[in-house]
Amino acid sequence: MNIAVTVCFVPDTASVIDIDDGVVDQSRLNLVMNPYDEYALEEAVSFRERRGEGLVTVFTIAPASAKEQLRKVLARGADNAVLVPAEGVPDPYQTATMLSRAIAGYYGDVLPELLFAGKHSTDFQSAQVPLMLAELLGIASVSGVSSLKETDDGFDLEREIENGVEYCSVRPPVLFSIEKGINTPRNASIKAVMDARKKSIELYSVECPEKPYVRLNGMAAVVRKKECRFLRDEKELLGVLTNERKLF
Amino acid sequence: MSGYLVFLEQREGLLRKSSLETWNRVQALAADEEPSIPVCGVILGPADTQTSENELYGSGRLFHATAPDFLLYDSERYARIVSDVFRKEECSTLFFADTALSRDLAPKLSIRLEASLLSGCARFVDERSGSCSRSVYAGSCIASFTAQLEKRIFTLFSSPEPFSTVLKAGTIVISPFDDYCQAISRPSAAVQKIAMTTGMRDVAEAGIIVAGGRGIGSREGFAMLEELAGLLGGSVGASRAVVDEGWRPHAEQVGQTGKSVAPLLYLACGISGSVQHLAGIGRAGTIVAINSDRHAPIFDTADFGIVGDVHAVIPGFIEEVRDFLKKK
Repeated sequence: MNIAVTVCFVPDTASVIDIDDGVVDQSRLNLVMNPYDEYALEEAVSFRERRGEGLVTVFTIAPASAKEQLRKVLARGADNAVLVPAEGVPDPYQTATMLSRAIAGYYGDVLPELLFAGKHSTDFQSAQVPLMLAELLGIASVSGVSSLKETDDGFDLEREIENGVEYCSVRPPVLFSIEKGINTPRNASIKAVMDARKKSIELYSVECPEKPYVRLNGMAAVVRKKECRFLRDEKELLGVLTNERKLF
Repeated sequence: MSGYLVFLEQREGLLRKSSLETWNRVQALAADEEPSIPVCGVILGPADTQTSENELYGSGRLFHATAPDFLLYDSERYARIVSDVFRKEECSTLFFADTALSRDLAPKLSIRLEASLLSGCARFVDERSGSCSRSVYAGSCIASFTAQLEKRIFTLFSSPEPFSTVLKAGTIVISPFDDYCQAISRPSAAVQKIAMTTGMRDVAEAGIIVAGGRGIGSREGFAMLEELAGLLGGSVGASRAVVDEGWRPHAEQVGQTGKSVAPLLYLACGISGSVQHLAGIGRAGTIVAINSDRHAPIFDTADFGIVGDVHAVIPGFIEEVRDFLKKK
């Protein structure tokens, strides 16, 4: 069986987000695999291992220079990768459309039984691409999956909602966007890193829709620093919260 | 084609506070326009609309699919009905409160209706042009986005900002409809049941959050935070460190890989304040930090701080609150 995993790259937590004239200074960013995509990939790889067969293919929309980062993704257990080259920052609709074209084109008539994606990317956190992709491919989708079990004819899964959990069942083909905590992603062993060098990264060009659905106008840095007023004790704290801030 | 459509979400038969707030905010937006824009709403599943009636302002028609089959979320059926109402009522814009449900449903509808989707909007920059802003890159910047299509979908974060217009109680007509929901040809993931955690409100919706970090020391240490949260009518939050330790569930995690919260009061107890944690509390009102390390970064973001051992300060504070509530 075929399993597709969509992956994107985001600045790591140590990267300095420097805004110059409303645009992020890319030269100060160190890009890594989106943390939620690590859970998605681990879910895909461990699923294939349990099955004992199948091919896990990673899809990404990125500049052609992302090959290096893709090697690290392959070292975490994916079998091969498809890199759809794109410059600039496509919006979620353009990204999802390019992914759907690449996936439909790559697999031909038979879509993969399972698709996995991270719940959202940690940079823009729109959480739109996975669900748009499923809609464009015409398959079912479930977002924010926190537990996944195979049954006789499909999957039982859980997703976190406000103050509770939803239980669903679904049959493949289906796309899951994966929540943190569903598994513990493996670290790449030295052998896996060596093996990854031999795995294939295919460049696959598709057309990007001309018009985005949403335009990014610009960004501004947030000044978060506040002047903290230090208090003596709990009594003073209660006084401040009740008398000054009137919170309760 | 110009109307506004608001999706009002029910959970176990009750309309959600965040949906009521969204309805009222949209009423205020619509009233500001000249001429004013018609607003309608859609409710799927049995819901006690009478209880919420006093909390709904403005005018408009609420389309209510009352059949029990809609009680639980089914993305395909929900998408079908919402897009039908949107088209039939000749709407231009669809509004949701930002919730687990709307984050699942809105992207589907964006493709289906060919509508620009702006999700997690914290503020409108210019509603006429469809611009809004929200924080990105772990809360280190605010980005502003503009819809490029005539049809638009917004999912709105609740906002502490007051409405620009004083809302009047108008006439809201509730129209039940059930002639929907015929055969759905496309595959879908239907929710079979939900399990709600009882007691406290979800941390993403809480007005007061008592949050603990590694400084709390153990799973058992959180009992005092639960007690304090209970007294204040708030909820317990957790840092990534304590979730990774297994002391608290992921649902309570605040921060970049957890929830973004907007309480009036955020009490950070034994939390050092990593960038990732601060990313989740950018919209909080008053922030109080209690930490034994005077140089912990959390104090740079806090309005008030106490340098001290949480195991001494919090029990003391609980006593103070108890006394205060007794006298009140």
